[in-house]
Amino acid sequence: MNARRGVAVLVAVTVVFGVLGRASNAIGLPAYDVLLAGTILFWMTQATSWNLLSGFAGYFSFGQGAYIAVGAYTTAVYFGRHGGNVFLAIPIGGLLGGILAAAVGAVAFRLRSLRGEIFALLTLAVPFILAAYARITNWVDGGQGTTIRLPRVPAWMGSFQQMVFLLNLGLAALAVGVALVVYHTRLGHGLAAIHDAEAAAEVLGVPTFRYKMVAIVLGGVLSGLSGAVFALQIGFVAVESLFTLTLPLTAIVISVLGGRRHWLGPVIGALLIVTLQDRLSAGGLENWSAIILGGLLAALVVLAPHGLFGRLRARWWLALAVLVVVTAGMTASGYYDQIDALLYGMLAAVVVATIADTLRPRKPAAVSRPPDGPLEATPLEAVVPQPRSAGTATEPGVLVSCDGVTRYFGGVKALDDVSFTVGHSEIVGLVGPNGSGKTTLVNLLSGAMQPTRGRIAISGQPIAGLPAHRVAHAGVARTYQLPKPFASMTVRDNVAMAVMFGRTPAPLHAARQAAERHLATVRLSHLADALPDALNLHQRQLLEMARATAADPTVLLLDEALAGLNPAEIDDAVTVIRRIHATGISIIIVEHLLRVLNQLATRIVVLDRGTLIADGDPMTVLNDPAVVRAYLGRQRA
Amino acid sequence: MITLQAALTGALIGGLYALMAAGMSVTWGVLRVINLAHFGLILLGGYLTYQLATSWRLDPILTLVVTVPALFVLGGALQWAYDRLRIVEFNSLLVSFGLLIITIQLASDVWSADFRRMSPADNRYATGSLNLGRIAVPTATLVAFVAAVLLVGGGHLLLHRTFTGRGMRAFAQDRTVAAAFGIDHRRLGVLLGGAAGASGAVAGMIFALGNSITPSTPYDWFGTVFAVVILGGIGNLLGTLVAGIGIGVLSGLVSVIWSPSTEPFVLFLAIILALLLRPRGLFARAGVA
Repeated sequence: MNARRGVAVLVAVTVVFGVLGRASNAIGLPAYDVLLAGTILFWMTQATSWNLLSGFAGYFSFGQGAYIAVGAYTTAVYFGRHGGNVFLAIPIGGLLGGILAAAVGAVAFRLRSLRGEIFALLTLAVPFILAAYARITNWVDGGQGTTIRLPRVPAWMGSFQQMVFLLNLGLAALAVGVALVVYHTRLGHGLAAIHDAEAAAEVLGVPTFRYKMVAIVLGGVLSGLSGAVFALQIGFVAVESLFTLTLPLTAIVISVLGGRRHWLGPVIGALLIVTLQDRLSAGGLENWSAIILGGLLAALVVLAPHGLFGRLRARWWLALAVLVVVTAGMTASGYYDQIDALLYGMLAAVVVATIADTLRPRKPAAVSRPPDGPLEATPLEAVVPQPRSAGTATEPGVLVSCDGVTRYFGGVKALDDVSFTVGHSEIVGLVGPNGSGKTTLVNLLSGAMQPTRGRIAISGQPIAGLPAHRVAHAGVARTYQLPKPFASMTVRDNVAMAVMFGRTPAPLHAARQAAERHLATVRLSHLADALPDALNLHQRQLLEMARATAADPTVLLLDEALAGLNPAEIDDAVTVIRRIHATGISIIIVEHLLRVLNQLATRIVVLDRGTLIADGDPMTVLNDPAVVRAYLGRQRA
Repeated sequence: MITLQAALTGALIGGLYALMAAGMSVTWGVLRVINLAHFGLILLGGYLTYQLATSWRLDPILTLVVTVPALFVLGGALQWAYDRLRIVEFNSLLVSFGLLIITIQLASDVWSADFRRMSPADNRYATGSLNLGRIAVPTATLVAFVAAVLLVGGGHLLLHRTFTGRGMRAFAQDRTVAAAFGIDHRRLGVLLGGAAGASGAVAGMIFALGNSITPSTPYDWFGTVFAVVILGGIGNLLGTLVAGIGIGVLSGLVSVIWSPSTEPFVLFLAIILALLLRPRGLFARAGVA
């Protein structure tokens, strides 16, 4: 489903439910059902807004309750205490939720060593700090709580219950619509790349900080809006009812159960979980609700971390048929309540779809064999990407210049006053014993780290202070010694990501076509549909190279791209590197194998304990006594 | 004088924070499990102490005879399950979050949502205090502090001086290599998880000595304990002790000098600054790590 059709379907569904809800009295829908539907929609909004950052980008937040509370307190203070307009309180709640989210994101995402766990714990602390503040601050709460009287309902919205339902419906449609659009646009692809391998995404040109900020703020706004309506729904706003762990827990369980990588996941999850909770409390088992949710979360993480969405999508017609048959049958039998019937219908659909999906004979991933024959048999012209634009190719001068580059780690000097340049169409070998600073230099050149002192310029443009994705846009691409593919995407999409976010950005389908060309360059076309997990180390390194060249760089940094390969694979990789070079990309290659560099490099730069000790053509450098000493130690007379 | 009193009380309470944080810090640092359920174990420890002291008339400190082995078994079993199900660092956070919610709900079913506190008749540490000049130290707080320092300090020595402790630290640094040298990570993990559970029993007992408990009490611990774990350096027990006392003093001073209302903000600001400036904890050695 593409974005436009998705939005159209969403609007149609929203209108149908809107009309049904408004006309519920006329068509004899029980008020209880409208109330339950409103609750489902509320949780749909919450889980979807949580999912924007936490599902798509993988930064789990335990702080969902904080945004709900900010929205709810906006209604409580502005409408409940000061008699403001309730329809103004809702957008203010959204605004404040967005501001809180921006504050959390601005602090958290600036932490250099932020990992998912730290983010989760940080967000866990946020609601408790707000709760402590609300409890002692009289103009917010002061420990008293605020009763929300019934607002005046505009005539066209019908009763108060119907108004709450319609507001929840509108917000759920807005949230799901936002998630749907995000999912289908660059932002969504960028967030998925962040989820899979954030560092690699950044050096391929994904503006990771900005994308995470956009996702968290969107989530905060949606959640705040819906929290403001929640206050009307619960009627009494107090610290104890808002700052509990059950709110974030429910949002998390809904998304994890439904599936967090797709916009429909939270929608499915909300339908199931909220109906289940409702039936539990109707059956007098309210106390079990938290226990079941907690147990469900623990079980899901272990047993079905990807959620239901994937399984339901594979057999959606079967699931739908079971749902309709079971629900209709049970309702028709007359023994069951409609909501019970619906719950059993959904559970049956999930069970049947899951079993069907598990029983389906799985074909081994369709991996055709690579074309036979030596690599040289493929004519070079056939696979070489489009010729570089004449301007860049013939432009004389310096692509990379390092001037007095120094980098300390605490008191350790990893690089000391390193200066060298790389010109057009060079292949520069960067060698040196372990710990001589090669990888540090690669990290500095790709913008992953900043030098302590000195200047680095790419095509004359200084890169000091630039985030790595801007350095990528200046023309630098790199590979990692330990490949970091985007694990959830096919090989083709891994490369397409680099095209999408590279120097010549393209929409997804164009990027996929371009990706084929880059895969042909490294001879991985036969694996285009495989997932990276199915690749061996050599193939993963080739994928790294394809991804890096797809970003359309002028300089390619290869960090030990040959490490761990057998001799045949090394020859293969060397041919690929030559091909990449033939397209007009300059290459800096970090390598231990001097034999390889001898035949590949046009120049060799040698580092020893952080200082540059030689720079020149391979033969001269490799016979330089200082270099021999650095590698073999001093020869005793 | 008020300031001094506040700082001292803060420092003593900080000992309890350190003890609560110690179990979490050590399982996180060594076993790579972020065990939010540890808060549940502390809560259980507190409730068991209350129950035993109230119904069996045991001296609250003597209840440790029951609670320590019980929570040792529980903590060890939990770790065994994490290990068997191959739950890695991030997932452990989610799974244990679910377990924590379950614990809290069960506690609420058993002991109700009301505040529970040992009556002075059952708890002879509740009322007394030690007077040092014009500064008074409640006995419960003093007991808490001494126990915390002994346990956390002792834990540090165990990790650094004994063969098993060294094995655990080796395991924390590189599991594969440690396994290759014959370190049985399952056994060590269960042992360590059990020890963390036992420390939770003590922490719960200490908390119950001086405070009322409700099922939602763990929520009040999150911010502070998390701050202590991070500031002390994950897996660093001595750092945890210092950070706990430091945070205790800070919040004590802040609530006297400004007002108690600013306390959570100052605390949070301290955590964030520390994370920005010293992400590996206050006491991490500078370097590439």
